[in-house]
Amino acid sequence: MIQDTRLIEIKNVCKRFGETEVLHDVNLYIRKCEFVTLLGPSGCGKTTLLRILGGFEMPTSGEVLFEGKDVTAIPPYKRRINTVFQKYALFNHLNVYDNIAFGLKLKTPEQMGCKSKKEQKEEIHRRVMRMLKLVKMEGYEKRSTNALSGGQQQRIAIARALVNEPEVLLLDEPLGALDLKLRKEMQLELKTMQQQLGITFIYVTHDQEEALTMSDTIAVMNGGRIQQIGDPKGIYDEPKNAFVADFIGESNILDGVMLEDELVKFHGTEFQCVDEGFAPDEPVDVVIRPEDIMIVGADVGMLTGTVESVIFKGVHYEMMVNTGAQRWKVHSTTMQPVGSQVGMTIVPYNIHIMRKQKEA
Amino acid sequence: MKRSWYASPYALWMVLFTAVPLLFVCYYAFTDASGAFTVGNFTKIAQPMYLLVLWDSVRLAFLCTVLCLLIGYPTAYFLSGRDLNHAQSLVVLILVPMWMNFLLRTYAMMTLFEDNGVINSLLEAVGLPRLHMIGTEGAVLTGMVYNFLPFMVLPIYTVLKKMDYSIIEAAEDLGCSPLRVVTRVVLPMSVPGVVSGVTMVFMPAVTTFAISRLLSSGMIYLVGDMIEDYFISMNNRNVGSSISLVMLVLIILSIGLLRKVDPDNSGGGLW
Repeated sequence: MIQDTRLIEIKNVCKRFGETEVLHDVNLYIRKCEFVTLLGPSGCGKTTLLRILGGFEMPTSGEVLFEGKDVTAIPPYKRRINTVFQKYALFNHLNVYDNIAFGLKLKTPEQMGCKSKKEQKEEIHRRVMRMLKLVKMEGYEKRSTNALSGGQQQRIAIARALVNEPEVLLLDEPLGALDLKLRKEMQLELKTMQQQLGITFIYVTHDQEEALTMSDTIAVMNGGRIQQIGDPKGIYDEPKNAFVADFIGESNILDGVMLEDELVKFHGTEFQCVDEGFAPDEPVDVVIRPEDIMIVGADVGMLTGTVESVIFKGVHYEMMVNTGAQRWKVHSTTMQPVGSQVGMTIVPYNIHIMRKQKEA
Repeated sequence: MKRSWYASPYALWMVLFTAVPLLFVCYYAFTDASGAFTVGNFTKIAQPMYLLVLWDSVRLAFLCTVLCLLIGYPTAYFLSGRDLNHAQSLVVLILVPMWMNFLLRTYAMMTLFEDNGVINSLLEAVGLPRLHMIGTEGAVLTGMVYNFLPFMVLPIYTVLKKMDYSIIEAAEDLGCSPLRVVTRVVLPMSVPGVVSGVTMVFMPAVTTFAISRLLSSGMIYLVGDMIEDYFISMNNRNVGSSISLVMLVLIILSIGLLRKVDPDNSGGGLW
């Protein structure tokens, strides 16, 4: 279970590469046993932030605390953190067993709580075998790493990191190269491992579904800034700004004006909503999820439009409905033929109002 | 047209200039001057005098290879560094000597090492005593290292350059200090390059002849010189051929040994 103690604190971290600012004043804390995902598009700074945690990069300013102690300048080999790299980075001069045992063999017998070299060797063997079992790769210990598939290499990379029993495991888009089915399997396995072992995972991905599936906490990043931190449901249901809404799931985003509390005007129409606390006539972003738009008869809808296209997506149909001023993305389990007139209704609870984001 | 036919010009070349001459060498090695079969050529070169020359050649080639490795590996490691600007131009700088014919380079070294050569003139100019260098084993070894060093640097450089940097980060991540990163990961993973470099230096070094003759003023006599003498000055192609054949077998054996170190031949070696 997640504990309340803050294991890692990132304080005012900035990172520049030459003229480019990759991270801008990032603040984040990570609790013990938490599964935290850094989520964002390419170039948002998520990997740089992970590399700072691993000790591979120094922040330009700011500090990283580990159990309250400043570790900003501590090199990677002295941190109780291990990493699973994007391209696995296995040692191809060693077989599977020696890859996993690599970190343990660097330790002295005393560091592993053993009295002799021999005892340490036995302990290493026990732990490597336990890891092989955990990642379901028993019987592969003598294999060359070159002879493994992508998914198998990934399992070995995970075992190689976990065998050292780190406080924190960093994962840099570890499932990026796997096919969809294998990826889904591995997501569940990783989550199970994390809960079994009680290790803090910090996971980097650009895949919002992956983030929602696995995380306790998601930090959505864009342009070197953290946009929103929260649990998956909170981030999905209550995105803080238009970027988060758009990145997490699909959205219709419109310009609107907040007329008064619980009343917003967009698309030339006034709508009831549930948001309060905006200035009178404050310009806002209005976000509506495609699955929150209900298709009704053309004569009873709040809005009416023409169906422009229909795509079958498996569970639902995705339709584009043109209302003249706006093209709406609508998800529905019933199909409307292209060219037909439909009405659309949105309940107040599903209209999300967001303050306009000041361009950085 | 079948794809293999494209190689026919080379196949013809191989037959004319490698296969046929090799058969001639075998023929001469096992015959005497009258053309009768004999193993006398081999018993002749089993004598201590010949074996000593052979030993000297192997010893010098070995020393040359070790020196090239000791100088070449750190150089290649430095050049493959990812923070290094202009690495490419530095690599070219290492290649520049190879653009000149090796005989020219060796003659140039002679003028450096001679008793009245460039180095001694410089020493004299700054008031230091002269050194006798030409004709010593040191001069020959220097000449060999100078000529063969690029063959050591390049394959090691290629292997190190291809190494994914995340491998090194993974090693650090798992607890390797910077020194251990080198001993546990970089060195073992560059073995194919080292094997390739060692082969490419040792093979030509063990049969070298002009370098030893020129820089030792004829004082050091190696297998290559001996083969040349038998064919040209003594006009005895039978003994010359048998020495060549012995060298060929030795070289094949050493390749076999090196193959054991790098079974996949992943260094892209030329041999």
